[in-house]
Amino acid sequence: MKRLELILSRLLWLVPTLIGLGVITFAISHVIPTDPVAILAGENATAEQIAALRTQLGFDRPLPVQLLAYFQDLLRGDMGVSLFSQQPIAEELATRLPATLELTFAAVLLASVLGIPLGVVSALRRNSAIDHALRIVTVSGLAIPSFWLAIQLQYLFAMQIGVAPLNGRIDGFGPEPVTGLMLLDSLLQWDWESFWGALRHIALPAITLALPAAATIARFTRAGVLEVVTSNYVLYERAMGLPGALVTWKYVLRNALISTVTQIGLIFGVLLSGAVVVEAVFDWPGLGAFAVISIIQSDHRAVMGFTLWAGAIFVIVNLIVDVLHTLIDPRSTR
Amino acid sequence: MSAPNHGFLAGAADIARRLLRDRAAMVGFTLILLLVLAAIFAPWLATHPNDVYEIHTARRLTPPGAEHWMGTDRMGADIYSRLLFGARITILIAVIAVGTAVLVGVPIGLVAGYYRNWFSDLLMRLSDIFLAVPQIVLAIAIAQTLGPSIENVILALSATYWPFWARLVYAETRSIKNETFVEAAIALGASAPRVMILHILPNIASAIIVRTSIGMGATILTAAALGFLGLGAPPPTPEWGRTIAESREYLPEAWWYALAPGIAIFLVVMGFNLLGDGLRDILDPRIRRGGRGP
Amino acid sequence: MSGLLLEVDRLTLGFRTERGLARILDGASLRIAPGEVMGLVGESGCGKTTLARAILGVLPAGGAQVDGGRISFRGRDLLREDPATLARDLRGRAITFIPQDPFSSFNPVFTIGEQLMDLMKWKSPRRQGEGRWPTLLQPYPRARRKADREAVLEMLAAVQLPNPAAILQKYPHEVSGGQRQRLMIAMALLPEPDLVIADEPTTALDVTIQAQILGVIRRLATERRVAVLLTTHDLGSAWEICDAVTVMYAGQDVESAPIDRFFAAPAHPYTTRLLESLPREGADVAGIPGEVPSPLAQPPGCRFYPRCDRATEACRATRPEETLLAEGHRLRCYHPRLPA
Repeated sequence: MKRLELILSRLLWLVPTLIGLGVITFAISHVIPTDPVAILAGENATAEQIAALRTQLGFDRPLPVQLLAYFQDLLRGDMGVSLFSQQPIAEELATRLPATLELTFAAVLLASVLGIPLGVVSALRRNSAIDHALRIVTVSGLAIPSFWLAIQLQYLFAMQIGVAPLNGRIDGFGPEPVTGLMLLDSLLQWDWESFWGALRHIALPAITLALPAAATIARFTRAGVLEVVTSNYVLYERAMGLPGALVTWKYVLRNALISTVTQIGLIFGVLLSGAVVVEAVFDWPGLGAFAVISIIQSDHRAVMGFTLWAGAIFVIVNLIVDVLHTLIDPRSTR
Repeated sequence: MSAPNHGFLAGAADIARRLLRDRAAMVGFTLILLLVLAAIFAPWLATHPNDVYEIHTARRLTPPGAEHWMGTDRMGADIYSRLLFGARITILIAVIAVGTAVLVGVPIGLVAGYYRNWFSDLLMRLSDIFLAVPQIVLAIAIAQTLGPSIENVILALSATYWPFWARLVYAETRSIKNETFVEAAIALGASAPRVMILHILPNIASAIIVRTSIGMGATILTAAALGFLGLGAPPPTPEWGRTIAESREYLPEAWWYALAPGIAIFLVVMGFNLLGDGLRDILDPRIRRGGRGP
Repeated sequence: MSGLLLEVDRLTLGFRTERGLARILDGASLRIAPGEVMGLVGESGCGKTTLARAILGVLPAGGAQVDGGRISFRGRDLLREDPATLARDLRGRAITFIPQDPFSSFNPVFTIGEQLMDLMKWKSPRRQGEGRWPTLLQPYPRARRKADREAVLEMLAAVQLPNPAAILQKYPHEVSGGQRQRLMIAMALLPEPDLVIADEPTTALDVTIQAQILGVIRRLATERRVAVLLTTHDLGSAWEICDAVTVMYAGQDVESAPIDRFFAAPAHPYTTRLLESLPREGADVAGIPGEVPSPLAQPPGCRFYPRCDRATEACRATRPEETLLAEGHRLRCYHPRLPA
């Protein structure tokens, strides 16, 4: 089974990638010519205090030994304790993961619903006024700084019109956590009040994240459709008088989406980058907001923990994309 | 002029002429030109050139009007004047960061793609690991370690951006090395540096130019995000991203505070993207945007 | 028109290009009687594929420009009637298509069965008015689906495909080129059409399979009394399966005749040259000197005169009118080679 082989080889690739990321984060925190101990100790620490802290943290040992110790800690899932919450960093990240996943899924969904039809229409009406208008919209979507858009949406919809809450994920406690995704959990428990609350909270951050992603999806879909509509099989389907809607939305779209799906990894990168700042603006209790809090508090180990997690998530998403690709394109399992 | 074997200058003239006909690319070019002009002539264009450093508590958070076209900030400084000086920082960061990344990444990709031995494999695996994470994540890690300053933002951005160029040039070099004209040059005894610089580099230059334009836009966005997160230049530097971050505390009253810097970032990034799209259509027909001619 | 199934009458069309209008067809005419297998013969670039596409209604949108002429199919005007109506009533039903390249003409991401059943859902001869649904919600009545599936399996056996039920499960890339072209033939015949347009159906295939495929087309066309328009640049193929042949040169028809007469008594200088260029035992292959004129700058008059050894001033000035040499033998030439 080729698909299984593919998944296994990708999972194997995850290992060196994570080790590499570990080395890079280690290098960032140990090799870069600033003294992390001095930063940790604070501006008013005396030389003796710094030296004591250095020994205590093990920064006086040779670098390879430190690297080994770093990996030993990582393997035990120990990333240190967050200065912000006094919780173990790994635990903190794990509890925050569902919030980020929920936000990103919502954004991908929204971006696909917006981007795919826009791309198709744009390609079919190529060089029309609609196509030119959509081109401007997609180019703009990629150029808007997401943190700024987030603030503008907050100002407009939360502060002025008041249809959406300013920030947070839910009022009160929300539904009993099952999957950790509040929209899903509240649906599973028929808790409409929580569902509506969660939906209102997720709307603005999801829109902020979805806009640049929708622009990317629309671009790839348009390019894919343009390539497919000139193909021989579309000529054949049209010559045989199959209904236009069937040809476009079934036969053309499935082929065009192959190239879009392979780019979802890239789109997810756009989303994850956006999530860091967007979560901070909306106080969304996810990984990104944690990263920002840790930056502000100069919590170095927490920032490194976040970097490792983000890398792992990203590699796993790309693995899922590859599997999706084999599902959507039968030729790829050859 | 349409002869296929034109020299570099004739080629550049041809490209310029085709760019001039691309309306979207010209809009992009104009936006970039405006940014450069704003940066160069900031002291003369600014209505309150000293507001970058001075504090005027009496007129803090004034809405836009005849005296302050874009209002004032929490220090009472003129946002329009600070915006102009911010353009300098934006250009400085983008040009140096992208330039360093290109200067580091292109030679690495070229050499790795040309020789293809264990060392090039190692280099490519290393860049793959960098590329396995969104750029901003590693940039945050580096900038946070180094502490907030413009130099550190530049360092963080170029340290996380070179692998992209190494990968790109590596792939292009590998495909071009198999072309007949390169094989012929090698067979005729041309030295490796000569083949790389005279035969391979000119043929991947267009791919590099196209991505430089788009990369400038992306880098400006990332730099602004770092500034927004407090990892950029410390105050009172008039950095656009930081200004937007400051404005949050004064909403909804000071609605104008974040407006101008946000729109400025948007327009500049858009400018580089439009120019990049236009250049791509002309220089890199393999990945055409599609949409002109039959 | 008396008894004709398809009549293309002086069709003139071109494509707008950067360097001006390229006249691909200039007064091309073609007649096909019911059940007749007509070969449309000419060199590549003579406009035969464009003519086939014009009949099928799939000229490139935006680029093609029809300047004159008529295509009528059983009295219906294929150029001027509403394209959507034609697509619903005629295309895939009365007129079907066997494409040139069976490799790229199947949609790569759906199983063969799904593509065949989609075709049957919309184009089955058993389909009668099933109400107005939005296209994507159109139901496929169970009884008809069953009958259609049986017809599909029967037809796959008729085109000599082994194990039809298994083939339906496969993706196009999993079957060979010859099998794909057999599938294309099956798909063209399943709607029980009156006319099949086969556009160079064997050029993309191995030489060894070409004869088999032509044989299948000929046999099924005769059995089911389907007319076929076979475009080909290969006179050999035409000889094997056609009832009649129309020769095109540079966007115009020059001669058409029943198959026996065509090979026994060709009259147009181009046709005779074409026949002479066939490889023959004991003779060198004779090419035709000169080049096909560019569609951007067509000569007036007879298109062939720059390469014709019989050309006179008259050929240069005006295109010859159609003359009837014998029953079904039409010719456009001032100086035909007539049997002595």
